[in-house]
Amino acid sequence: MRSSGNITWTVWKALFMREAVARLSAGRAAWLWILLEPVAHLIFLTAIFELVRQLVLPGVEGAMFIATGVLGFLIAQNTATRCKDAISANAALLTYRQVLPIDTVLVRAALEAALVVISGLVLLTGLGLLGYSVMPYDVLQVVLAVATLWLVGVGMGLILSVISEMIPELGKLSAMIFRPLYLFSAVIYPAAVVPAAYQDVFLLNPLVHGIELIREGYFSPYQYHTISGVSAAYIMGFALVTICLGLALHVRFVHRIVEQ
Amino acid sequence: MIIVDDVYKRYHTDLGVGKWVLQGVSFTMPQKVNVGLVGRNGAGKSTLLRLIGGVDIPTRGRIERRCRVSWPMGFGGGLQGSLTGRQNARFVCRIYGHEKDIQERLAEIEDFAELGEAYDEPVKTYSSGMKSRLQFGISLAVDFDVYISDEVTSTGDAAFKKKASGAFRKLADRAGLIMVSHGEGTLREFCTAGIWLHEGKAHWFDKIQDALKQYRKSL
Repeated sequence: MRSSGNITWTVWKALFMREAVARLSAGRAAWLWILLEPVAHLIFLTAIFELVRQLVLPGVEGAMFIATGVLGFLIAQNTATRCKDAISANAALLTYRQVLPIDTVLVRAALEAALVVISGLVLLTGLGLLGYSVMPYDVLQVVLAVATLWLVGVGMGLILSVISEMIPELGKLSAMIFRPLYLFSAVIYPAAVVPAAYQDVFLLNPLVHGIELIREGYFSPYQYHTISGVSAAYIMGFALVTICLGLALHVRFVHRIVEQ
Repeated sequence: MIIVDDVYKRYHTDLGVGKWVLQGVSFTMPQKVNVGLVGRNGAGKSTLLRLIGGVDIPTRGRIERRCRVSWPMGFGGGLQGSLTGRQNARFVCRIYGHEKDIQERLAEIEDFAELGEAYDEPVKTYSSGMKSRLQFGISLAVDFDVYISDEVTSTGDAAFKKKASGAFRKLADRAGLIMVSHGEGTLREFCTAGIWLHEGKAHWFDKIQDALKQYRKSL
């Protein structure tokens, strides 16, 4: 008899391989598109941003500013939305009793992290070769901020995966939330441009904290100043609460999900 | 040995909680016995197989598996449509911990399922006969003490049926078997004991003939 830990580990490995193969072989040159998504954002937004950067951010390179925002946002968004669909994409594999709905979600989250690290490194190498200064000012803070944004994505993904299994309509609705969120997450502008009167509301969005923390770590204090309300504790707390809630939902509704 | 202890099951539907499908099913299945499950349409045969296979969880009661029990084979369940036959086979070998000799097992499945080039095509392009051949092949490549079969032998063309029946014969000699089939001949051929599902309860018979007799009487 194998131990529970051993069984779970083999399931995770098998699901990871299955997800990676599906992700990298879906359609022609699927692996290329994984890289091109952030690149497309980057080129398009940099072009716009370069036109206005002298007005808002002297000293910060437009491409690097956009890269930090876009990568930070995409980590959270892609992890959340990929995790949301993890259960339905693996429904047939739930036939095997060692495969639980939560395994599919967690494995997707891990795969997304791996892809983000790879595509982020490739992107930064590319920018470095183009002559941008890609070395962060405070590497540890950047890594922590990226990891926390990923954890927020995992928490949201855990919750949304259960919701979209139980109430598919709500699942579809949640996908729509991320589009406007792009505009309210300081992806294409520094948080400091938000008027003081709105900053309290603006800072309710945890992604703002994560993205601003990436930038604070990336650029030196001489180059970039974030606003005073940005807090690592807030976004970490948000990640922790959503992950706990997501895990609780999985425990509570696992019967209902496998029943279908 | 599989112990089914006072198992109740009902499903949630769009209209709320459904009616009870199983109401207090209890029996103990010894390891080396082949059991045929009979009952009318909708009596809960497939539900019971899913519960024993651990795909689904009882609403109330307990199921204990003191041996390696397969998933319910049949109807193409357990195959992911977007993956190829080989990828599906590989996945199953992996989750059952057969990582070391995976190539041999994959070859064994390929050989049994006779899919040819389709083995490397996505399963969603398969016919239902091809799906069940693949599924049957995969389940033979994993070692179980008890196999659960939901009409596995009834699929495929005549040639495959013969082969499947031979493989099933060997399987029935080596391991335990719980099967649902609407072919009484198949049940008589492979099973010694029988369970008759009726009005949410299970009735155990040591001889399959007695179970079939009861079943026919209830029709």
